[in-house]
Amino acid sequence: MEMSMGHSGKNINEYRTLMQIKDLHFSYTEGEEILKGLNFAIDERTTAIIGQNGAGKTTFVKLLKGLLRPTEGAVEFDGKDIRDITVAQLARHIGMVFQNPNDQIFKNRVLDEVMFGPLKIGMGEAAAREKSLEALELVGLSGHEDKNPYDLGLSSRKLVAIASIVAMDPKVIIFDEPTIAQDYYGKERIKSVIRKLRSEGVTVITIIHDMDFVADVFERVIVFAKGGVLLDGSAKEVFADETILKEAYLEQPNVTRLCQSLGYEEVFLNAGEFVAYQREKQNLITN
Amino acid sequence: MKSISLYEEKGSLLNKMAPESKILYIVVALLLPVIMGSKWVSVGFIVFSACLLLISKVLRKTVPILSISGFVLLTVVIIQGIFRAGNVTPVLTVGPVSFYEEGLYFALGIVINVLNILLSFCVLILTAKPSDIVENFVRKGFSSRFGYVFISVFQIIPQMTETMSTITDAQRSRGMETEGNLLVRIKAFIPLISPVVMSSLINTKERALALEVRGFNAKNKKTFLNDEKKCGADRYVQLGMLILLAAGIVWRIAGWK
Amino acid sequence: MEMSTKHPKIIVENLKYKYLATDFLALDGISFSVEQGEFIGIIGKNDSGKSTLCQAIAGLVPNFYKGAYGGRILIDELEVKNVDLDELCKKVGIVFQNPFNQVTGSKLTVYEEIAFGLENLGIERQEMIHRIDEAMELLDIMKYKDREPFDLSGGQMQRMAIAGIIAMQPEVIVLDEPTSQLDPQGREEVYQAVQKLSKKGITIFMVEHNVEKIASYSDRVLLLDGGKLIDFDTPQRIFSREDLDTYGVEPPAFTKICRELNLKNAETGCYPVTLEEAYDLLSKEKRGM
Repeated sequence: MEMSMGHSGKNINEYRTLMQIKDLHFSYTEGEEILKGLNFAIDERTTAIIGQNGAGKTTFVKLLKGLLRPTEGAVEFDGKDIRDITVAQLARHIGMVFQNPNDQIFKNRVLDEVMFGPLKIGMGEAAAREKSLEALELVGLSGHEDKNPYDLGLSSRKLVAIASIVAMDPKVIIFDEPTIAQDYYGKERIKSVIRKLRSEGVTVITIIHDMDFVADVFERVIVFAKGGVLLDGSAKEVFADETILKEAYLEQPNVTRLCQSLGYEEVFLNAGEFVAYQREKQNLITN
Repeated sequence: MKSISLYEEKGSLLNKMAPESKILYIVVALLLPVIMGSKWVSVGFIVFSACLLLISKVLRKTVPILSISGFVLLTVVIIQGIFRAGNVTPVLTVGPVSFYEEGLYFALGIVINVLNILLSFCVLILTAKPSDIVENFVRKGFSSRFGYVFISVFQIIPQMTETMSTITDAQRSRGMETEGNLLVRIKAFIPLISPVVMSSLINTKERALALEVRGFNAKNKKTFLNDEKKCGADRYVQLGMLILLAAGIVWRIAGWK
Repeated sequence: MEMSTKHPKIIVENLKYKYLATDFLALDGISFSVEQGEFIGIIGKNDSGKSTLCQAIAGLVPNFYKGAYGGRILIDELEVKNVDLDELCKKVGIVFQNPFNQVTGSKLTVYEEIAFGLENLGIERQEMIHRIDEAMELLDIMKYKDREPFDLSGGQMQRMAIAGIIAMQPEVIVLDEPTSQLDPQGREEVYQAVQKLSKKGITIFMVEHNVEKIASYSDRVLLLDGGKLIDFDTPQRIFSREDLDTYGVEPPAFTKICRELNLKNAETGCYPVTLEEAYDLLSKEKRGM
């Protein structure tokens, strides 16, 4: 942990802490530890957890959400051990969008589906409706309130699932593989949803395999490998470290890889950053 | 993800034998006591099944099966022993309750029958691979579609359980209580069952496609990667079983005279 | 497009298709032809007709999904729609997105799982073993042969699915987003394997949202939108199209950079599409600066 704190450019205290992970251990069967003592804080930054399948990412977010209980250590939200809160109660603070929207959709009207969660956590009918309409607007589905979710394409159904969590007004939202089965438009839409959530003060956490997507929207990246944290820092710091990523069987974002092979000292995360840098350089030369 | 099959390869003689021989054994073990009308025949088969399981090194695996049914059998013994109509001869009195000989005999009969059924079925399911059982039937002309359905259940059910638990997690994450009294559980039913049905439909369709493009509906005669499960002893065992059954019938008919 | 003297492997002529439950054409007048051994990428936004086209090549449209069908697909003069699926699968194989749903569920080991199709086709045992061994070697999964099929990781399971298809020795393989549910390593494993098949002369159709992968592996790319074929050309020409984003497709990151900086390949007049191409241009540029 000290290592990775040293890595991050900004002082960690500048960010508002929401959750504390304290010496977190987990195993399904004795002797086979999935998580081997995690220690870090979740703050307001958009955070991507990356790692090979089997690195413990899914187990970790299930623990954050209270769906599993730690075998040792604790997850704290707002200074309280979440062990003392039921999953249903925790739902008003921490939301999770599952990988496959079909795993949750059961109402035959979009608005009803989105209102289900808010009503369950005890919002009044009027407040639930208001929050749900806001959430549908945020994901760009205004005007589709009365449709049957199964008449929408998979991309839009994913957005319904996102809206149904956003409407519950949680402080933290976890996205499990948000880009799977999404095309370019779908990915762009989800990027903009994440940015809006961040600007509204919601902490977004994701577990994901799509490095270019991470490089575009996430501020902090945590690399998981074999049940531990291999590296934790800003997206730039983490994606600059080719050796660590290889060790975790991960790839650098495409642009980062290109620019590193071209011998640039600076780290570029996407095409936009590199183009801006090049333009500036050209301007310097022409002036 | 494990298959729910109880079979384990131990290289024993029973592992090598044809599943049909073991099925025939079950038939004889269950019919012969009825034909001959004696509980002692059942007892004989129980002992014999236990010996077969012992030499096949799978006797230990019957313990969980027997302990579950043991609990049920115990209640049968207690209830019949105390309350059976026609109880007149007390044999054991504990405090205010008495166990009666008639009821206990009746319960003993049930226990023997159940044990005989369980152990003889164990001889089959603990020593034969489900796919071998099905393949041998398909070889004998049974429909391979029917065989597929039967056999895939062993692996698809654990898969569905997995889906079910993901869906439960997804709905709990939206503030739905799934644990608690009956009312809570009934309320949770629709939000859980609709996605399960929907995702099963999707998965089933996708799997049907995947089977289709691998010639599942081909009209030609199928071949098999694995050799037919059988050994030299099978013929004699099957013949022996049939003779035993026939002998029982003859004995019974002769006994009536 | 260059005219080829070779006879095409696959000819698609004015293909049209409408599913029973919908009132629009999922495929709307598609025509193209492909040589043997080509690696063809298929791109387009969701619902542009990519999957339907895959299913049409594999005969599932119209022989599994019933609907209104027009035009034709010829594979070596064999008209796909007139061939039974259990006959066609010896010619064309298809691999789907979700590796779990391609596991038959009726076999206890990976080895037996791969035998499934061969048993159905009535392949003689010695030949069967030979083919399974060959397919497993090719996909580098021999080490898992005694594992339970559902016990494998996503990437391993997807390679098992491909091996099950390869063992049936098709000449054309269609892969419909085979890596979208895999981690980076699993995705790379699958791509390596498919490239090997392509080198062996098997014709490949690959649907993929990851444009960087499509750009570096495909010989030619089919761009679909609204069931229509917009363009069929080299990745360089397709991704150099200025109107690409109107079809819901973004160019590879490398192409974006070079387009913004106006760096074209002098020979082709196109923007680079792979890391290597972009590297060549940008390193010259860097030295020049």
